[in-house]
Amino acid sequence: MVLGNARRGRSGARIAGGLALAGVALAGCAASVPPVAPGTLAVVGAESQYADVAAQVGGRYVSVVAVMNNPNADPHGFEVSPSVAREVARARLVVQNGAGYDDFMRVVEAATPSPRRRVVVAQRVLGLASSIPNPHLWYGPATMPAVAAAIEADLARLEPAHRAYFAARLARFDVAMGALRARIAAFAARFAGRRVATTEPVGDYLLSALGLVNATPFRFQADVMNGVDPAPQDVGTVESLLTGRRVAALLVNAQVSSPVTTTLTGLAQGAHVPVVALYETMPRGFTYQRWMTAEIDAIERALTTGRSTRRLT
Amino acid sequence: MHWLVEPGFWSNPVVGPALILGAVVAAVSAAVGVVVVVRGQSFAGHALTDVAMAGGAGASLVGATPLVGFLLAGIVGGASIEAAGAERVRDRDVATGVVLGGAAGLTALLLYFVSSSTSATGSTQSVLFGSVFTVSPSVVPLGVAVAAATLATLFGVRRPLLLSSLSPELAAARGVRPRVVSLVFVVVLAASVALSALVIGAILSTALLVGPASAALRVSRGLVGATVGAIVAGVAAVELGIVASYDSFYWSAAHRSVPVSACVVAVVLVEVAASAGWSRWRRGRG
Repeated sequence: MVLGNARRGRSGARIAGGLALAGVALAGCAASVPPVAPGTLAVVGAESQYADVAAQVGGRYVSVVAVMNNPNADPHGFEVSPSVAREVARARLVVQNGAGYDDFMRVVEAATPSPRRRVVVAQRVLGLASSIPNPHLWYGPATMPAVAAAIEADLARLEPAHRAYFAARLARFDVAMGALRARIAAFAARFAGRRVATTEPVGDYLLSALGLVNATPFRFQADVMNGVDPAPQDVGTVESLLTGRRVAALLVNAQVSSPVTTTLTGLAQGAHVPVVALYETMPRGFTYQRWMTAEIDAIERALTTGRSTRRLT
Repeated sequence: MHWLVEPGFWSNPVVGPALILGAVVAAVSAAVGVVVVVRGQSFAGHALTDVAMAGGAGASLVGATPLVGFLLAGIVGGASIEAAGAERVRDRDVATGVVLGGAAGLTALLLYFVSSSTSATGSTQSVLFGSVFTVSPSVVPLGVAVAAATLATLFGVRRPLLLSSLSPELAAARGVRPRVVSLVFVVVLAASVALSALVIGAILSTALLVGPASAALRVSRGLVGATVGAIVAGVAAVELGIVASYDSFYWSAAHRSVPVSACVVAVVLVEVAASAGWSRWRRGRG
């Protein structure tokens, strides 16, 4: 009996030690989030492209962090860390995509309720259903102007003193968006109707704005996006598009590789079909508009000179 | 053949390698499986699949061919179960369970790293459940070579192996060293698990290992007959599974195919059920 008690006491001490360790670990996580600069609003963008637009509109009155900003990782496989929860908990404004793409943000927001926080969801701003099959909304040319306007409205409500400043920043962003739309229109005037193949629906909204025809079955693109094996029939269809040179370019998701995409890239190279990398999150060193322009330039280079662009620089 | 195979089957670029690799893998799994069932090592076989899983996840993390990862991890894991040296069945059971749990945990960690830091996608799906249609054709020669080496080794040690499985005392009297035999066999087992992990995934490779073998052992009398029967049943299961998976594209208007692994396991289950029914019917008559 006494022995039993002693043993229980020891295990109790061990549990207490374990809890203390866990506490230290949690404190470590908490400390790893850098402080917000004084006089600025904490803003979180779920993806680096939304963080960039928020920074462009908010200017010097916002401190923006991006949750998903590793251009080498597949965003669909993202898992949240405690530091993300800390960032979201103290944020006054959160910008996210929605459409099931960044559901982890909803979970984190529900776990850290804050009446002072405003949330901009691109899918809701655009009035789309959350079940929309292709969630890569930021590739649509109408998306960011609408999201930027929603960000501006929320920032003006949070900091009415800087209302005029935010409005001016939004106007400047809209000018850049106008230039992007002009670029897209010029591309479409020249290349509308050209056929391309893709591995994923990542850039599909941009491709249709550019007037390009995506010859890849959507089922195949969705299967690759969702990490399940595409049907052999669909693989055969896409392979014959490349080997038969029935498309002008193969557009691959730069952040996702699987045996299927590797095989397709190899086939495209063998058939001298140029390969263009489309990024799923904004690569480092770009703004949203420069990123989109670089992608369009890369596609144009592929269509005119047959050159591949495997990385944006 | 039109009643069985939907159009485009033979000309499809991914079907050919799948059929070849599938047949080879099924033959090895079935032959090894007969010994596994006779030795009562189904659980150890399953543990090796979990170890192989960790290896496959590690391979996709460093960008290597999954087969190499499956193989290395399986051999290391199998040797460590063997080296734990559990003589009694119960100790062996526990050692196997511990290795299994540890390997599954390691798999979870590695797959997390894969999806959060590299661009490899779908690794979870392909490591756990296999994807023979996406196996690169360049892996086929390596797979066939590993399969041939595995079968040759199994054939070479078949006598001491079966003797020590069926009658350890007699084997010892004949000068068979049981530890050496077990070690060789666990390496053979690891290789066969690694191969079938490619086709139907690490988790499901137990089905291909144990299913055809147990069905054949029920139906046939001698071990030679059982091995031949198991190979026939295993190859049939994989090839029919590939055909069914291909055909399933046309079963629904949305063209949602059923994965190969699910189709193969379904055929294996039918075979096991049929063999059980057959042996019951025969016993009823006899």
